[in-house]
Amino acid sequence: MRRSSGGGIIGEAAIETCKLTKTFAAPRGLADLLRRRPSAGGVTPVDGVDLLIRKGEVFGILGPNGAGKTTLIKILCTLILPTAGRAKVNGFDLERESGRVRESIGLVTTDERSFYWRLTGRENLEFFASLHNFYSDKARDMVDDLLGVVDLKDAADVRFLNYSAGMKQRMAIARGLLNNPAVLFMDEPTRSLDPGAAQGLRDFIKEEIVRERGKTIFVSTHNLEEAEELCDRVAIFDEGKIKVIGSPNELKAALGEGSKLSDVFLHYTGKRFEERGGTEAGATAPGFRPDRRGLGRGGGGLGRRRGGV
Amino acid sequence: MKVGSMFATYRKALSFVKRSYILQMSYKFEFFLRLFFMFFNILTYYFVAKLIGTAGMKYLEPYGGDYFSFVLIGIAFSGYLMVSLRGFSESVRDEQMMGTLEAMLVTPTDASAIITLSTLWSFIFASFRVLLYLVIGVLLGVSLAGANVLAALIILALTIICFSSIGILSASFIMIFKRGDPINMLFMSTSELFGGVFFPISVLPSWLQTVSHLLPITYSLNGMRHALLQGYSLGELAPEVGTLVLFSALLLPASLLAFRYAVRKAKMEGTLVHY
Repeated sequence: MRRSSGGGIIGEAAIETCKLTKTFAAPRGLADLLRRRPSAGGVTPVDGVDLLIRKGEVFGILGPNGAGKTTLIKILCTLILPTAGRAKVNGFDLERESGRVRESIGLVTTDERSFYWRLTGRENLEFFASLHNFYSDKARDMVDDLLGVVDLKDAADVRFLNYSAGMKQRMAIARGLLNNPAVLFMDEPTRSLDPGAAQGLRDFIKEEIVRERGKTIFVSTHNLEEAEELCDRVAIFDEGKIKVIGSPNELKAALGEGSKLSDVFLHYTGKRFEERGGTEAGATAPGFRPDRRGLGRGGGGLGRRRGGV
Repeated sequence: MKVGSMFATYRKALSFVKRSYILQMSYKFEFFLRLFFMFFNILTYYFVAKLIGTAGMKYLEPYGGDYFSFVLIGIAFSGYLMVSLRGFSESVRDEQMMGTLEAMLVTPTDASAIITLSTLWSFIFASFRVLLYLVIGVLLGVSLAGANVLAALIILALTIICFSSIGILSASFIMIFKRGDPINMLFMSTSELFGGVFFPISVLPSWLQTVSHLLPITYSLNGMRHALLQGYSLGELAPEVGTLVLFSALLLPASLLAFRYAVRKAKMEGTLVHY
């Protein structure tokens, strides 16, 4: 056992996957379905993924939009069934023990629509607590505690539709922690936040969730700075495949002194990270594009940005 | 089912009802508007019944002879079929569109429980409507003095099981095809015409009555009218009760299997939250 970069204790396996693969068949019409005609084509957003993530570890999956990060998280959360391969979360088999897997996990997404907008924050959390089998006084105390943790106690009885983007995201974290999960999945947790709010959320994740609660965190991001700041290890993920896994420092050191994580990404994927100009939001939005010069380590033109999206 | 599990289901049911009630009450105007226009519906049939008078006596005799009493029970209890047919598929679709389905499915609560419990409020609201229909009916002269309430409740329970099974089948189609559910269309279009909602099925030519005998709503409304208007005993209601039990025994397991298959298929295709 050792300490994670966030201060948690790293122990035995929390997530294990073996040749995990997901292929989505091309859409078929009713006639094809009835005739059991196989569909032509299809996409494979997760392609033979092997992972071993230890308890207490903050593991980042770093890749561009469309790389398959969300599909991988959804498979590990039992929302999508894999086409091939096996996986265990908190020691439970994804397919045979899906109920036990769901008891062990929390999911934090950026989809603010996943709450009932006309219910208050407290009502939302109490409802979702009941789905985790927590009721009445126990649920109320737990929700109260979590609202305090995410600093939303004062706004607990305000309708969710009146919350700011940052408050909504903190609500998503509170919901993810309702069942005191062993593993917390976070799908691009700072995507819709301004730089200040994103930094605040990262600090909160490090202090409260990792250091205080010692959770295993599986975080997907396309924000290099976030990956570097939060994660004990990152996997560079592109086109459904893991290109390389290691701690940010190890990965950078392997490329030579002065290398950045963006150089690591470029080296393993042939795509380079850049800032997008244009609109105010776009100016801070991270992006990846194929490196026209092919694989290489050149850092020319690599964008540096503050605080994510 | 273990006591602990039953208690958990009960507590969850309360949470779903509370959630739906708060959501419904956040649209108070719509809620009261729906109740208000229900009165117009009843009054329309009241005056139609006055116009018909004793003209349909030959057909209405088995139900006491009064058209208003006949149609009141028909429109009140057919509401359960409508709620079942639409409720389950709409709750799948509503949660998909609101974006809340995924957040619910990542909890230990089973998908079928989520969909069933999401529909509870619609059934409670439908029951409230039935009660209002009956109260207004009594105020307008319908006699329920000799009603066999126990038999009516048994038929109601079987009706809900039967109709819910059809509703779950319908939701299974929505889960896979997203739109164009044939179960809903089939039962929606045939039940009012052949199920005896607005007129006794004896009005239909005998070859069309065959279709009526294939629909659970026919037995449900028949039994309910006999129980409420004429106070038939359970023994006298045995044909209706027996047929509804048979329908339930066939449809309930089939619908649960279909729903499980639909959820698995949607998880396989990654379309669980698509709409």
